[in-house]
Amino acid sequence: MNAVSSELLREVEQFLFHEARLLDERRFEEWLELFTEDTHYWMPIVSTRERGNREVATESELAYFDDTKETLRYRVKRLYTGLAWAEEPPSRTCRFLSNIQVEQNSDASLELSTRCNLMVYRTRLETDRDLFIGTREDVLRRVNDTWQVARRSITLTESVLDANNLSIFF
Amino acid sequence: MELAAIEDLVREGGARVSRRAFVDNDVYELELARVFARCWLYLGHDSQLREPGDYFTAYMGEDPIIVTRGDDGVISALLNSCQHRGMRVCRSDSGNSRYFRCPYHGWSYNENGKLVGIPRLKTGYFDELDRENLGLVRVPRITNYKGMIWANWDPEAPTFEEYLGGMKVYLDLMLDRIPGGLEAVEGVHKWTIDGNWKFAADNFVGDMYHVPVTHGSAHSIGLRQAWSDLGYQINPGNGHGFGGEYGGLSAAENETSYTPYIKQIRAHLAEQNGDYINKIVPLGHMTIFPNFSALDTLRFRTFRVWNPVGPEKMQVHAWAIFDKALPDEIKQSIRQQYIFTFGPSGVFEQEDGENWSQSTRSTRGWIARQYDLNYSMGAGHEEPVEKVLGSNLPGQMGGIWSEINQRGFYLRWQQLLKADSWNTIREEEKALGADK
Ligand code: FES
Ligand SMILES: [Fe+2]
Repeated sequence: MNAVSSELLREVEQFLFHEARLLDERRFEEWLELFTEDTHYWMPIVSTRERGNREVATESELAYFDDTKETLRYRVKRLYTGLAWAEEPPSRTCRFLSNIQVEQNSDASLELSTRCNLMVYRTRLETDRDLFIGTREDVLRRVNDTWQVARRSITLTESVLDANNLSIFF
Repeated sequence: MELAAIEDLVREGGARVSRRAFVDNDVYELELARVFARCWLYLGHDSQLREPGDYFTAYMGEDPIIVTRGDDGVISALLNSCQHRGMRVCRSDSGNSRYFRCPYHGWSYNENGKLVGIPRLKTGYFDELDRENLGLVRVPRITNYKGMIWANWDPEAPTFEEYLGGMKVYLDLMLDRIPGGLEAVEGVHKWTIDGNWKFAADNFVGDMYHVPVTHGSAHSIGLRQAWSDLGYQINPGNGHGFGGEYGGLSAAENETSYTPYIKQIRAHLAEQNGDYINKIVPLGHMTIFPNFSALDTLRFRTFRVWNPVGPEKMQVHAWAIFDKALPDEIKQSIRQQYIFTFGPSGVFEQEDGENWSQSTRSTRGWIARQYDLNYSMGAGHEEPVEKVLGSNLPGQMGGIWSEINQRGFYLRWQQLLKADSWNTIREEEKALGADK
C-alpha cells in the first residue's frame, strides 16, 4: 500500500462526493454507470459479540446487500417503475463522507483503495427518519480516464437495523 | 379485558377484525400473557449451536432468551435476566461460553442456568442464599423438531406435534427434502419495523392478494411473469396456514441454479407421496401460529420471527435456510437470491415493511379504531383439502386469493385471548368434537 499525491487524493474525493450527490439527487442511472461490470457491492451484517470475536460477517455469510452489477441494475430499474412503494413517494437523503483515506494498491496498479466514514440521513413521508452510519471501503479502478467502483463494502455500526427497510443505496 | 370486548375483536368467522387488535395496549398485554406465554415459539435452528457451549440470544414475546447447548448436547432456553436485579446476563448475539456472568454484581450462571457463583456469598449473604432456586428461569418446554428449536412457557400446553395439528404433514414437506436436513446461513437479519407483529404474521399466513400489487415492480423489471389466478391457501387448523402459486411460489420467476435441484427433489417427493406434491412443493408463504413465518420458494427458503416490541413495533429476526447436502455453489446462490429479494434490502421485502408500518400508524386514530378490517375474501368458498388435492390431506382450502388462512389465524388468536388456560381450550374442542 502506498500513499497517493495530494492531487490524486483530491481527485478521488471529488469523485466520491460526485457519486454521493448523484444518489442524493436520485440520478440512479448515472450513478450505476460509476460501477464496473464486475463490481461487487456488499454490506455484511454486524453482530454484537464478546470482545475478541468476529463481529462482521464474511462473504459466505449473511449480508444486507450482496450485489453484482446485474442485481444493482434490477434495483435501479425498479426505482423507475413507479411501483416500488418503499420509494414512492421517494425518500429524501443527505449523505456525508468524511475521514477519507486513499491508497495506491501497488505502483503499477490502476486500482486504488479508499476508506471513509459514511453518514446517510433519510427522511420519508411525514416523520420517518433514519440515520445510517458506518465505514465504507471501495476499490476504485481507472477506466477511460475516470474512476469506477470495482468493489464496495459498507459496514454499518448497528447490529439491529432500526429502520423499516434499506430501500436506498450506500 | 372483559369477555365481550374480546368477542368483539374478531367477528363473522374471522371476516372482520377490529383495528383495536393492532394498537390497543390492553389487547397487547393480554396477547403477551395468553398468546406468547402459552404458544410454541421458534427460537432458531440447531445449526446455530454446533459445539457444546455455543449459545445465541432470541426473544419469546418481549422476554429476552438465551439458547444454549450444554456439554451433554442438550439445548436449554433461559430467561436472559438476572435473578438479583434483572440485569441482562448475556449481551451478545451469539458465541461460546460455559457461563454467563452478570455485569451488575457478578452472579454467575452456567450454560444450564444454574447459579454457580455469587460474590461475597459469606460476608454479604452469610452463606444463607437459596442458590438452588435462583438459577436463571428456564423455559420448561423445549423441542428440537427436525432441526428447528421451539419452546413453550406453559406446562399445560399441548406437545409441539399436537400444536402443529394438521400442519405437521405440510411442514414435513419443507423439512424432509434430502438426507442431511437443513442448515441456516451463518448470521441473522435483525431489523425493526414500526408495525404491529400481526400484520406480518397475517401477511405470511395467507396473503397472496398483495403480491401482484405490493410487489408489482418485480414483474415490471422482468424478474418474473405476471401472476396467474392458479394457486391455493391451505388452513390446516390451529391458526397455522400456507399458500402460494401451484407449482411452487416463484414458479413464474426467472430460474436460478437452485431451480433444477428443487424440481428434482420435488419429483422424488411426488413419487413417494403422490401427484399433489407437484402443486404445493415448495410450500410458498407460511405462518405457524403465532409469529413464526417462512417462505419456501424455487429460489430460496427463509425462516423468520416477528418479535413484538409493544403494539406498534416489532423486531424481525430472519434466516436464510438451505439443505445441508446441496453443493456449495448452489448454497451461495440461494443465499444471494434471498438477500436480493428478501431481508431489509430485498426488492420484495422493502415494500412489506412499509405497508405494515403505515397500516399500524393509520389505525391508531380514535375514529379508525371504531372500524373493522376486512378479511372476507373467499369466505363460504372453502373446501376440504382432500377433495381438491386428494391423498387424505388435512385442513380446508381456498383459492390463491382466499383469506381463509387469515380468518383461521384471528379465530385462533381470539380463542387464546378468551381462554384462561389450555385446559379450557381442550374442553372447548372436545365439546365441539362431540357436537359433530
Ligand atoms: S443484577 Fe445480576 S448480580 Fe445483581
Ligand atoms: Fe410481501
